[in-house]
Amino acid sequence: MASMTVQTERPPSGPADVRKGADVVGSGRPTQRAASRAGALGPYLLLLPACAATVLLLGWPLVKDVLLSFQNLNMAQLIQHVTEWNGVDNYKEVLTGEDFWRVTLRSILFTAVNVVLTMLLGALVGLLLARLGKRMRFTLMVGLVLAWAMPVVAASTVYQWLFAQRFGVVNWVLDKLGWHSMADYSWTSSQMSTFFVVTVLIVWQSIPFVAINLYAATTTIPTELYEAASLDGAGAWRSFTTVTLPFLRPFLYATTFLEIIWIFKAFVQVFTINGGGPDRLTEILPVYAYIEGVGNQHYGMGAAIAVLTILILLGLTAYYLRIVLKQEEDEL
Amino acid sequence: MKRKLISAIGVAGMMISLAACGGDDGGDEGKTGADGYAGQTLTVWVMDGSSPDQWQKDVAAAFEKKTKAKVKFEIQQWNGIQQKLTTALSEENPPDVFEIGNTQTPAYAKTGGLADLADLKAEIGADWTESLNNSSVYEGKQYAAPWYFANRVVIYNKKVWADAGIKDLPKTRDEFYADLKQIDAKTDAEPIYLPGQNWYHFVGLVVGEGGELVKKDGDKYVSNLADPKVAAAMETYKKFQSLSKAPKDKDEATPQQGEVFGKGNVGAFIGMGWEAGIAIEANPKIEKEIGYFTIPGATAGKPEGVFLGGSNLAVAAGSKKQELAKEFLKIALSDQYEGQLAKLNGVIPNKESLQGNVKGNAAAEAMAPAAAGGGTTPLIPEWAAVENAPNPVKTYMTAVLNGKSPAQAAKQVEDEFNKRLAQQQ
Repeated sequence: MASMTVQTERPPSGPADVRKGADVVGSGRPTQRAASRAGALGPYLLLLPACAATVLLLGWPLVKDVLLSFQNLNMAQLIQHVTEWNGVDNYKEVLTGEDFWRVTLRSILFTAVNVVLTMLLGALVGLLLARLGKRMRFTLMVGLVLAWAMPVVAASTVYQWLFAQRFGVVNWVLDKLGWHSMADYSWTSSQMSTFFVVTVLIVWQSIPFVAINLYAATTTIPTELYEAASLDGAGAWRSFTTVTLPFLRPFLYATTFLEIIWIFKAFVQVFTINGGGPDRLTEILPVYAYIEGVGNQHYGMGAAIAVLTILILLGLTAYYLRIVLKQEEDEL
Repeated sequence: MKRKLISAIGVAGMMISLAACGGDDGGDEGKTGADGYAGQTLTVWVMDGSSPDQWQKDVAAAFEKKTKAKVKFEIQQWNGIQQKLTTALSEENPPDVFEIGNTQTPAYAKTGGLADLADLKAEIGADWTESLNNSSVYEGKQYAAPWYFANRVVIYNKKVWADAGIKDLPKTRDEFYADLKQIDAKTDAEPIYLPGQNWYHFVGLVVGEGGELVKKDGDKYVSNLADPKVAAAMETYKKFQSLSKAPKDKDEATPQQGEVFGKGNVGAFIGMGWEAGIAIEANPKIEKEIGYFTIPGATAGKPEGVFLGGSNLAVAAGSKKQELAKEFLKIALSDQYEGQLAKLNGVIPNKESLQGNVKGNAAAEAMAPAAAGGGTTPLIPEWAAVENAPNPVKTYMTAVLNGKSPAQAAKQVEDEFNKRLAQQQ
């Protein structure tokens, strides 16, 4: 998806120009105009299935969620099919409580740390891929694809076992290495150690996407540019900053943007590893929405938190959206 | 009464019940209405392991014989059951009859999702044990029927105890502790496996102290964890927990304590009788080493307080087969099948007169002396929200075990606890 976004940005002339040209040519003859009208409809027809799926699977639940967020909906109301509108009460309760703000801040910090780590390590692995010989590159690629292909729940469960207190292999290894106080260390009993496990898991899962994307990006850089740079006396660092980086920049934007979305809504990892515990200290917004809404069967409240989560995510990604929109304007 | 009951306790009863069936209801009431049910299927939700296959088969056969209708049992998991049940009850075709935990029943009675069973109570429930029926009654109305009950016992490894040179089973809490200490000193086994969040056992200790987890403040319920009786119960828990290497922030199911015990290097654990089955499944060789005894109390005469877990059977208010559902309950809760369930699973039946069925079941015999002094979590609709993860009582326990004083820990979770009790219904 990232590479698609990027490629539409890069060619200076889009499909719009082509169609303009066709209109000019065809303006004289009626048969051709009809044909071109049908042709103009074509793209919309092709878009229809995707739009329908989006409206059905994303739009409709979103509308329902917004409607629910203005209702008092608990066990009794759900079972008896009673609709109790309560205006903005849910929002008022969420926004005036300190829990929500604490969780929001935590979510943003959590996302920031994970995105920075993922992008740094992912970019390094991507550059490594570009430099490796054929066989090593293939081996690394296979490793990355396997990590990427692992289902999230399965990966989370494996990490749970790795870091289990009594029978986990991580504690066993640390103990064998001489760090005996770690033999029975409980990773899930403090906020930071739980976040540590979740972060290792998420970064491990996200690196392949970033690395492979960036590796793909480096293959588009013409080698002549490096030759020219070295003729001008540029060293390795200089040619990296002046040649490689400018080419990678749109890729980096797009990948960072996707990583922010992906990590911000990393419900499964956080929930599976420790259920948002200990003592609700590792709940991020989606987990908080689930525990308040579904877990506590306080559905209206959960819906309100979900709506607010979407708004916050939109805010966080607004910067990137602006860049994309601006670029498209420039192209027109 | 959570999670997997081991169904493989016994295969007795088949012959007896089939034979009994034959002699039964030759031509009594219901004959006229009976054919009216032909072709219908009643859906019944039971929890994983709560009723053995044999029981289901026998009850289904008797039900079909009497009503000409079929019954379909659907097995559910305890984990996340409240959310699933709420959704199911809101739907067009809810399960007609379902098993529901005793501490969860009041909350569902309040939602209007359970049918009123006053006539059933009048017909077959005259001798239901009153203390077991309490959870089914909400605001004076009968919303469910008591099904089966059970409480925790000490499950111990005879070999480990013998290795430590212990001859007699402990009669008091202090003797129990001394025995565990002796195991610690004389063997390399872990004396007891007690994770920090076996909160049903903690509730039992609170019951034993005569304490309550909540109290009334005006017209609403608030946390009573700061009560000295609760603190005393927690101190007892902590004393025993200090002998265990089990995680302080996990409950008895993660990992399954039966599996840990099954490895053979644990002296004892506190659990339901059927949890021994988990150990045997993990390590068949341990079967002959397993013994049971009643959890000893402060004095020799009175066993420790226990959490009296149990399940009720309820009929969905939205079911279109109300009469058929009641017919099912009359059969499932009849002396014959209620007795069979008690026998097969080693659980306490809903009437005193059927208690004889558990004779010979070692776990059930260890359970029985404590049952009379057993108690439950508060039977109020507000309680259900407290049990939703993350359960503040569990948080309280971990906090104390990690070094906070009971008073500090009570203060730490008070807000969350009260918020849940006050949650809009």
